[in-house]
Amino acid sequence: MQNAKDSFYVALRTRLAAINPERTILLRSAVRPGIVVEEAEAPFAQLPADVFVLRWLGLGVDQDLPSTMVAEEVEVLYSTLGTQSFGGLDRGRALSEMDEELVAMLTPFWTPKLNYTATPATVMLTKVFWDEPVFGQATALRDRLSRTARVVVYSYQEAGE
Amino acid sequence: MATSSFLAPAPVVRRVRGYFAAVNRGTGTPVLFDPAEMGGFALDSPPAPWVSLGWIKNFTRKAGSRTAPILTGIPAAVLEQARETLDAQVGFQFLSWTKLTMALATGSQHMNLLAPAAGAAAVIQSGATATLLPLLAADAAKFSAGRIVAVDVDYAGQTGFVGSPVSGAYVKAALTDVDYVRRVTFNVATVASVATTGLAGLTLTDALPGGVPAAGMKVQALTGFVDREGGSFFQEWSALFVMEGGQGERVFFHYPRLQALGSAVEVASSLAKNGTLERVLLGGEFRALPVTDPLDGERVVCYRSFLPAGKALI
Repeated sequence: MQNAKDSFYVALRTRLAAINPERTILLRSAVRPGIVVEEAEAPFAQLPADVFVLRWLGLGVDQDLPSTMVAEEVEVLYSTLGTQSFGGLDRGRALSEMDEELVAMLTPFWTPKLNYTATPATVMLTKVFWDEPVFGQATALRDRLSRTARVVVYSYQEAGE
Repeated sequence: MATSSFLAPAPVVRRVRGYFAAVNRGTGTPVLFDPAEMGGFALDSPPAPWVSLGWIKNFTRKAGSRTAPILTGIPAAVLEQARETLDAQVGFQFLSWTKLTMALATGSQHMNLLAPAAGAAAVIQSGATATLLPLLAADAAKFSAGRIVAVDVDYAGQTGFVGSPVSGAYVKAALTDVDYVRRVTFNVATVASVATTGLAGLTLTDALPGGVPAAGMKVQALTGFVDREGGSFFQEWSALFVMEGGQGERVFFHYPRLQALGSAVEVASSLAKNGTLERVLLGGEFRALPVTDPLDGERVVCYRSFLPAGKALI
């Protein structure tokens, strides 16, 4: 299951770097594409703005198949305060930009499954695929505008996993 | 030891894509799809002569073939089976309204609404391509960017199937309408820009379905499309439907000959659960007609092909 989660995250990270190279985050002294997995970072007091945060939630397993299917629900959280040069008045536009980037990141709806515990990562036999995102309402807290989207990510368990 | 294959469960697909190819009605020749040769094509750019119909919804197949037992002995027992009738039907909804989808979904002849104000059709000058139609400057000035145009020959009293590259109608007795072929032709495109100076003419947004216009073809503006309930003409086409699974596997449904089974219908699909807006989809029901498989001479109506995912155990 971890391989599917890793593959999904790396696929989105790679796509984001191509879609908007300027969306980055400085984390542990490294500049990275602006997407992080919440459970793989130190706990945040407040989620960083202008960055996509993946939060893994539900889990389902279907064992009545030739290969066990795993369904993992991920919540993508993102928020923005707009830009300083516009005094935050562009926060609505900034959120729309992140909406569009997320839709683009999720297309196409599959990626090869890789094992990232090996160096270099090894390509596995199956693909990880997912459904269309379900977007939540935009919420405003003072000058911060936030949204979440949920995606169900599917994968097949392979031998040795 | 690392495994090199996996047990693939049934394909998981999100949607179905449809493709069209014209049947040569004059010779009764459909287009056959060979998945072994072309099965890996990019869904957005199908191999010629297939044309994408976009994504389709509520795709259903129904086989109507009937078998009958041949009984022998006392008491009678089934010795073998015979296929009494051969029939198959397909139903789905198009997610877009285009000349092609509307024409296929309707149960009858489909026509172009020729613009009355544009006057007579303009003669296409030499040097035309599938996307560029040179015209006299005065003729070019009658068109504007964004206009849909039909390109085909004048009707000159011929009977039989007319229209290119798809037979749009069957003329039983000679008519008097000189624009009739352009009225039924599938050779339509949208004007991207108009030049009235220098090399005057029309530049089209997409290539004409019929390719480079043949000598004698004219261009005429149209405002939309119309179909009728009734008539005796049935549009016929070669169809290909593709389901792509989450592991990259593909299922193809190929119907070499499809004809509309019912009349033109629309299906309303609500945009939101409690909203009033509805998307109007073109509904289509089709009957498959038989072809003779060149492989072994058997009469068949459709093919189902499966291209497994890479490294999947079969």
